[in-house]
Amino acid sequence: MGKKLGVILFVLVIAAVLITGYQAIWGPEATPGTKEVSIEVVIPKEDVNESWSFQTDADFLKDLLMEEEETLGVMLETTDFGSMVVGMNNYRANESQNEFFHISVNGAEAETGVDEIPLTDDATYAFELREW
Amino acid sequence: MVIIALLSACVTAGKMALSFIPNVHIVALLFIVYTVALGTKRSLLIALVFATTEVLLYGFATWVLGYYVIWPSLVLVTAALDKVIETEYGYAIISGIFGLTFGLFFAVFESLFYGVAYGVTYWIRGIPFDIVHGVSNFVMVLVLFKPLVQVLSKLDDRAPSNELDAGNGPAENMRL
Repeated sequence: MGKKLGVILFVLVIAAVLITGYQAIWGPEATPGTKEVSIEVVIPKEDVNESWSFQTDADFLKDLLMEEEETLGVMLETTDFGSMVVGMNNYRANESQNEFFHISVNGAEAETGVDEIPLTDDATYAFELREW
Repeated sequence: MVIIALLSACVTAGKMALSFIPNVHIVALLFIVYTVALGTKRSLLIALVFATTEVLLYGFATWVLGYYVIWPSLVLVTAALDKVIETEYGYAIISGIFGLTFGLFFAVFESLFYGVAYGVTYWIRGIPFDIVHGVSNFVMVLVLFKPLVQVLSKLDDRAPSNELDAGNGPAENMRL
């Protein structure tokens, strides 16, 4: 068992090194300082197409959503894989109708969740209700 | 048939029981144990029942199609290497590599539906989860493989003879 324990510890250390390396190479990078960003919310079935501009020191989109929770009518859920936007403009995506909020950054589909989307100056972050 | 149903239920239950920890589950461990203790045919059937149960539980999606390929593949790889592996370390390495390449497999699979760019993004974003998957698989197989194979082999010996293969035996060449 002692040998196995040693092997397990070794593997855990290797894993920790790999994950640290991953974060260093591909982890999200925040831009420090004040940024001016736009948030758009599109909910076609409710005829909602609104946009807001904010000046913020927040580093990531989730931080801004939390700061402006009431203004944007944000509903967030914490999952094992990070925060998930389940509602915007006080409209909650109806899971039974396969609805979700599609996130785009400057028109391009976001590759990560709001926890890892860094805020950059003059960027536009759009939340559009879609069905999968 | 009863054994196949029960053991596939064990896989589903085992997966659900650990679902609160992302990418940590006993599915690979159980398929490796089943293959060694019960044989390839029964393990393949268990894998197909498990994949179908996932469809019933979570609905039809592209990743479900991948399940019909990846779990039987693990059974086949384990069966193919069973003759040359002498200790649980060999099976632990198989399960570790399986976990590490799990995301890559699905990235290739998903890229068939959604394009290469999506597949690459899918894989890169999932690398930390693959590392967790591979390491947890390795540790679980290293610790639990021997006792589970011993128990399952004993139970299988007591069961009435089955129509399918009698199993590879409790790893005849393995020091249990």
